[in-house]
Amino acid sequence: MKRNGVFFWVGAAVFLIAIALMTKLITNEYPFFAGYVILQFIVLAVAWSILGGHAGYVNFGTSAFFGMGVYTAVFLFKVAGAPLLVQIAAAAAVGALMGFALGLLTLRMQGIFFSIATIALTIVIETSITNWRYVGGAAGIQLQRPPVTWPFSGYVQMLFFVQAVLVVLAVVVSRYIQNSWIGRGLQALRDDELAAECTGVPTLRLKVLACVVSGALMCAAGAPAAMYLQYADPSSAFNLNYSVSTLAMSLIGGTAHWAGPIVGAILLGTTQQLLTVTISSEVNVLVLGVMLVLFVVAAPEGLIGLLRRVRDKRREGKQ
Amino acid sequence: MERRTLLGGTITAAVLGLTFGLTSAAFAQQPPIKIGMSMAQTGGLAGGGKASQLGIEVWRDDVNARGGLLGRKVELIVYDDKSSASETPAIYSKLLDVDKVDILFAPYATVPTAPLMPLVKQRGMLLMGNFSFQVNSKVGHDMWFNNAPWGPADSWASSFLDLGQKAGGKTIALLAADQEFAQNLAKTAREVATKLGMKIVFDQAYPPSTVEFSGILRALKAAKPDIVYVASYPPDSAGILRGVNEIGIGDNVKLFGGGMVGLQFGAVMENLGSLLNGVVNYNTWLPEPSMYHEGTKAFFETYTKRAVEAKVDPLGYYLAPYGYASGQMIEQAIKAVGSLDQKALAKYLRENTHKTIVGPITFAADGEWKESGVVQAQFRGIADKNMEQFRSSGKQVVLFPDKMKSGTLVTPFEAARK
Repeated sequence: MKRNGVFFWVGAAVFLIAIALMTKLITNEYPFFAGYVILQFIVLAVAWSILGGHAGYVNFGTSAFFGMGVYTAVFLFKVAGAPLLVQIAAAAAVGALMGFALGLLTLRMQGIFFSIATIALTIVIETSITNWRYVGGAAGIQLQRPPVTWPFSGYVQMLFFVQAVLVVLAVVVSRYIQNSWIGRGLQALRDDELAAECTGVPTLRLKVLACVVSGALMCAAGAPAAMYLQYADPSSAFNLNYSVSTLAMSLIGGTAHWAGPIVGAILLGTTQQLLTVTISSEVNVLVLGVMLVLFVVAAPEGLIGLLRRVRDKRREGKQ
Repeated sequence: MERRTLLGGTITAAVLGLTFGLTSAAFAQQPPIKIGMSMAQTGGLAGGGKASQLGIEVWRDDVNARGGLLGRKVELIVYDDKSSASETPAIYSKLLDVDKVDILFAPYATVPTAPLMPLVKQRGMLLMGNFSFQVNSKVGHDMWFNNAPWGPADSWASSFLDLGQKAGGKTIALLAADQEFAQNLAKTAREVATKLGMKIVFDQAYPPSTVEFSGILRALKAAKPDIVYVASYPPDSAGILRGVNEIGIGDNVKLFGGGMVGLQFGAVMENLGSLLNGVVNYNTWLPEPSMYHEGTKAFFETYTKRAVEAKVDPLGYYLAPYGYASGQMIEQAIKAVGSLDQKALAKYLRENTHKTIVGPITFAADGEWKESGVVQAQFRGIADKNMEQFRSSGKQVVLFPDKMKSGTLVTPFEAARK
């Protein structure tokens, strides 16, 4: 294994151990409530950048996948009282299928047309759920959490840990894609799809694959939200805010490297949580807007891109 | 002045000053009573949320001017929940675990409140509800008290359909937005209609983003209902009334309205003007003589002044007095119990009738009002583009309940519109 790889796996293990220790040592529940939201956005941003970053297909349908994850969990819980892990696994499967269908139907469209189609997807699914009375319909549905599973002391702590495992899973997948033939193929088609196709890159197959993986991860990230909120309603579950925030996080962090969305999600997610409990008014929406504009102007390739540029300049200076 | 007198005076002054200083320091050292809540300050519910918050703030200032509670100042800690359900669990966990608030008030509306119910139940906290609808029916928290006058779930629809039946209505048309609150209203309306033996001749839900209602209204008109029960949100309420104005609703209709949200807000009412005439709609407070209680007038004088600075609904009839009433109820409970013990406060709130600016409030076992305080009122003689007209009585005549009645129903709807 290369040195980089060792560092990565050690880092992932240390992260999970730290999260597990946190759930044991911290008695105050607030860090878990706030941390859960940040972790959830990391998974969403990493998943988004698999299609949006590597392949350059801008997906506005994050909220469709997220909401579908929420409602898969709600449905399974209502039908059979399914445990959390089953809810997440089923949501991932549903997300993969949805990604596959979306890919087949829309990936022949390019650029802005694909993006518009993904917005339509959100509306179609939200309307369907709104009219499905079994899962609460427009009125929403309240859920009672089952007892917490050993070794966790509280349900929120458990959800926090589960979401952290999803973060690691998403990052491992995204890193693998970037470093493998899939990532190279996706990058080729992002730069010039026609040229890639001519040189033998199976573009449609790769795009569908990216859609499937990205969709599965987004849906999986949404599944625990049902138990986190103990309530689900279509307008909150399919809130466009998930799409916009995820996109902003990936762009601010940088889409050229798997670490970009993580940096973006931590930065923006933490800022959002802090602003909610500090400034807490219209101003926090403004602050986020200004941040996005600043990053687009000053660092079009995101924070990772900015760091790379600074590092390259230093090297040039040394030479 | 002699030196000794001067010295004596100085010493006395110093001792007095010191004593006073110490007492006031001791008073200041008493930590404030913290009341925590989230409120929709941005997003779709912000208009209502801000007005409601101003009502609570007016109470806070009044209670502090009276010397606070238990000798302590009252402080509000408010965060913006962006009108979303996904924000409130983290905010309330911060309020409980970091800010260590003494009392919790719920956010405005049902959706942001729903995820909190299991949390407060688990933590054994009292929660003063703020205009949510049947949010405790499944959770069954015995320390929940809703400030909204909804009362039993079906009282809303039954008040309207009862009026319709008295006016000779036998058939009913339902038109409801595909959203949480409207669908809850439509559901109870169906049940009440069946109970009253009325025939539902038209039952249509429409997507919340609908702006053009002429197609739906034509179909409704063709069904020739006697009563039209509409459960809508502010943008669609305006769209529906505009549609009715353009294509009419038919001579059969005796009663139109019921559950249209938006027709309680100053800006929407000013905007719709004469289109409102004839509509019978629910409300929570109106400037009719029967609705004034002790402190109501003084509250609205303060609110009207402060609403201009705060840029919120200049009328503020719908939510603001109920925000103030939440404060009054908690004030009475704390004074009677003499502590902040949640169980004792809840017991007091459950077992007593509370005097507020919106009238006496008694709670049922589920934390909703024992008896509904929702009024049905008919708009009369409304002119275009005039906010001030809504401040005088007679513009919204109370038809239900009987004890607050300030006029009789004008039917049919087409005649009342003119």
